[in-house]
Amino acid sequence: MDDLLAILSDIAPDVDFEHETGLVDDGILDSFAILSLVGELEDTYDIRITPKELIPVNFNSAEAIFALVERLRNA
Amino acid sequence: MPHISLGFLLFTALSAAVFYAVPKRRRWIVLLVFSIAYYLAAGPALILFLLFVAATTFFGALLAEQKKKGAVPAVLVLNFGLLAILKYTNFFISNLNRIPGVSIAEMRLLLPLGISFYMFQATGYLLDVHWERTRAEHGFFRYLLFVSFFPQILQGPIGRFGRLSETLYAGADFDPDNLRRAALRIAYGYFKKIVIADNAAVWVNYIFDPSRNTGSRMGIAGVLLYGVQLYMDFSGGIDIAAGIAHLFGVRLDENFRQPYFATSITDFWHRWHITLGTWMKDYLFYPLSLSGRIGRFGKWCRKHLPKQAGRALPIALCNIIVFLAVGVWHGAAWHFILYGLYSGVIIGISGLLAPQYRKWKSALHIDDKSRSWHLFQIFRTFVLISISWFLDRSDTVRQALILLKNSFAGPFFSLGLPFDGNVLKAAVRFGTVLFGCALVFGVSLKKEQGVPVMERLLAKPAALRIALLLFFLLSYGLFGDNTAFGGFMYANF
Repeated sequence: MDDLLAILSDIAPDVDFEHETGLVDDGILDSFAILSLVGELEDTYDIRITPKELIPVNFNSAEAIFALVERLRNA
Repeated sequence: MPHISLGFLLFTALSAAVFYAVPKRRRWIVLLVFSIAYYLAAGPALILFLLFVAATTFFGALLAEQKKKGAVPAVLVLNFGLLAILKYTNFFISNLNRIPGVSIAEMRLLLPLGISFYMFQATGYLLDVHWERTRAEHGFFRYLLFVSFFPQILQGPIGRFGRLSETLYAGADFDPDNLRRAALRIAYGYFKKIVIADNAAVWVNYIFDPSRNTGSRMGIAGVLLYGVQLYMDFSGGIDIAAGIAHLFGVRLDENFRQPYFATSITDFWHRWHITLGTWMKDYLFYPLSLSGRIGRFGKWCRKHLPKQAGRALPIALCNIIVFLAVGVWHGAAWHFILYGLYSGVIIGISGLLAPQYRKWKSALHIDDKSRSWHLFQIFRTFVLISISWFLDRSDTVRQALILLKNSFAGPFFSLGLPFDGNVLKAAVRFGTVLFGCALVFGVSLKKEQGVPVMERLLAKPAALRIALLLFFLLSYGLFGDNTAFGGFMYANF
């Protein structure tokens, strides 16, 4: 989780990722930021993210993103 | 059937009466029958395209649900191939004809009413089923209603099956609140269209007329009025569609959210034609960005370029491609293609330079949260968007560039006034546009501040709402003008 928080902070330094739960729904992360994040996640965790996974519920909080990564790593 | 006609209003009233007269579980059938009747009235042959799109996406989704490979790409190729042939054949022919010695006759092709809108809506459904975001509808006629629902077929909004199906098939109980909501929204939509947009259109058509002298700073007035006309026309049409849907208790997605309060081009596209923007994002931008080729390019960029550039370059490239598609969607002409590219390039460059912007702002001690910075951002975005309207409205790229150049260098007011110098008529027309804009601006400002304007109005005494409706009705008769455009601008897509 710490690695993930570091990646997130690097992409959007001003966001409180430990507490935000509406990163997509509240427009905190735009599509540019989400795709930057996807690239970093794919490189760091050696996973493949497809359009099917690009839904708000998977990116609304650091926990949701972490759960997505875990699910794809174990797939 | 023009939306601005007594016939359409009677048709809508009749559909609502029949809707509530039949049992709840059959009400969706009434909507389907009236939707098909509406489309048949536009031209019986055109319904074949609608049925083709509905049938291919319906069966494609059933196959996608069963994980049959190849079904989704085949349906996409069929549908977009059809759209490309109908919409772009003559564009290619006219460009080929520019080659010396080439002379191909242009074809007489019908562009079915609202084809882009229902095709995009149906494609979204197909991909949502494919990506397991929504269930597949197993009743063809129920699905046909989703594709053909008459209030939205002309110019959107482009609905999503998951959300729209919640109310579309529910057969709402009669609720006077829905009726009040519908009346206010429809009346407001017609006010925007007939009183503001159509009056602004007279000026716009005059200033942008290629046969007139384009060497005038009136270009600035022209493009500002065009910004007014486009917004009032399109958002007014959406208000009418949403209002009619309310009559049946159906909720359509919102298509506008105070776009001229946007603080960046990206923000603008989050507020303007929202359902096209989110469609492009979900079904083109994301799949393209995550495709194998772009993915490999992204990995190469992240490995070989500085961190931010490596991260942003592939996304910026995809953005430009998506906005190119937005431009092409607007029409088969180079000025539309440049119009799309203009936004794509600005957003792409902004993404690439985002860390630099942060540094500059910090160095200049700019407070992101300050009111003055916020207003500056709104003004900057408004100017950038207004420049793009030159490309959108002009008939050719050349005309757009001449108007743009002369807007800053030409003589003032060399055009004279519309209506052969009838100053009073021109002044009343201009005053009407200004008054209408002030009213819509007031409502928009309240909404931007988070005030639920419609709910507030519904809580007021009935006499006030009736007075408001009478005011709108009176304004159509006194100040309305439909000599410029009969129909809606976005109905031609």
